[in-house]
Amino acid sequence: MADRELTFEIFRYNPQKPEVKPYLQTYKLKETTGMTIFVALNQIREEQDPSLMFDFVCRAAICGSCAMVINGRPRLACKTLTKTLPARIKLFPLPVFKLIGDLSVDTGTWFRHMSLKTEAWVHTSKTFDPKAQEERMDNETALKIYEAERCIECGCCIAGCATANIRDEFLGAAGINRVARFMLDPRDERTPAEYFEVVGSEEGAFGCMGLMACDDNCPMELPLQMQLAFVRRKMASIGIGYKPGKGIKLA
Amino acid sequence: MLLQRTLSKSNKTDLYLDLVELASGLLLVGFLWTHMLFVATILISQETFNGLSEFLDKYYLSYIGIPFIIVVALFHFVIAGRRIPTRIQEQRIVWRHAKMLRHTDTWTWVFQAITGMAILVLASIHVWMVVTGWPIRDFTSAQRMESFWWFYLILLIVGEYHAGFGLYRQFVKWGWFPRKPIGYITKVITAIILVLGLAAMFVFVQLGGAL
Ligand code: HEM
Ligand code: SF4
Ligand code: SF4
Ligand code: FES
Repeated sequence: MADRELTFEIFRYNPQKPEVKPYLQTYKLKETTGMTIFVALNQIREEQDPSLMFDFVCRAAICGSCAMVINGRPRLACKTLTKTLPARIKLFPLPVFKLIGDLSVDTGTWFRHMSLKTEAWVHTSKTFDPKAQEERMDNETALKIYEAERCIECGCCIAGCATANIRDEFLGAAGINRVARFMLDPRDERTPAEYFEVVGSEEGAFGCMGLMACDDNCPMELPLQMQLAFVRRKMASIGIGYKPGKGIKLA
Repeated sequence: MLLQRTLSKSNKTDLYLDLVELASGLLLVGFLWTHMLFVATILISQETFNGLSEFLDKYYLSYIGIPFIIVVALFHFVIAGRRIPTRIQEQRIVWRHAKMLRHTDTWTWVFQAITGMAILVLASIHVWMVVTGWPIRDFTSAQRMESFWWFYLILLIVGEYHAGFGLYRQFVKWGWFPRKPIGYITKVITAIILVLGLAAMFVFVQLGGAL
């Protein structure tokens, strides 16, 4: 096993140099025990090609920055062992996100936009008193919130989603999961109608077509199907009794 | 903020469309499976088949049922069909994406859209043939099956695929049941209905030769 020779075909394109069209570059590398795609890429950059662009920070599936398309599937480079793959490995950057160059994409801007749009913070009228004892929360609720909080914003669910690939405004599983997190939180004082405003449309819950590429590709194994369905059902029951305000007429 | 999006947002249209998609899908699957069970009465005897058809005629159930299902199918076509990407570039993105991902549920959705379009054409022809040859009796059906068995074979497979996977997807989207068992159950029911349909077809083609 350890003496396989791996062939990497890596997507190369630098938007700063548009005169060079996108192409696939091949690198060869000896496999070592316990090698991850992250280790392999660093070795290629150190020994063969210092111009290769890719991202990583934590190398431990915590920061979410090393996600890329590995043999067709969105995966974390630091969590994917080469021994689980055939000897030919194709690497592409994640679709949907802005391409920085080669395998590096900007997920930050997308996730910031999503956080602002879903207003991903606890909406409360209480003023914070640093001296007071923290309010208690029952364990079950805390665990449910934690389950949604485990998202590391890697973007695999967005890149894998066919809907997100063609609908720019779609919040995707990460966005809908984020809303689910605040809907569960008893400290958030938003009304059902306010949540409906955020995800009660095709940009949110009703845009999802149930393809489940998010659920099947999330490296943190978040229960995304159940989160999407939870928000969809919630939005349907809120929406039935919801009275939208009168709109402004353009003419 | 974009003026045109902001002013057109935040009404309940998307919710209603999703609910109509849900209801029309459920109604059509319910109809298709009932329809296939009715057709399969030929497996019991010709009398049972004719008796059922006469019964549906006598109480005007056919005359209410058929137009109703046509209207539901039209609603479903427009509303579920809104998910089909219309621009060529979008179609190319989805196609390449499905090939890249090699992901079962993404591929089954692509075929959901393709079989939906096929049903639109094939089912219209089927309804036209049946309605112009009214009433339905064992010999009228046997004649149609004998001459156009290949047409019915395609419609059967395409229809059952679309109904089975469509139902699975609705359950997945609304999350009423866990994903794995519901996939298994819809596949088993689809297989049973397919076998019944094929058996009924076989009997009809035999009958057609005998009449
Ligand atoms: C008129 C021709 C038809 C067309 C063009 C069509 C098209 C479609 C499309 C594109 C979808 C995917 C929608 C989505 O994923 O949200 C769909 C879903 C579905 N279709 Fe059809 N269809 C047709 C006829 C039928 C018939 C006759 C049945 C009944 C057997 C049926 C049952 C379903 C079901 C249950 C779904 C799942 C709906 C959902 O996911 O919410 N369709 N159809
Ligand atoms: S279920 Fe499918 S359509 Fe919905 S968010 Fe996940 S991948 Fe996208
Ligand atoms: S939900 Fe999963 S796949 Fe999506 S961004 Fe979060 S960790 Fe990544
Ligand atoms: S480098 Fe942080 S998740 Fe892979």
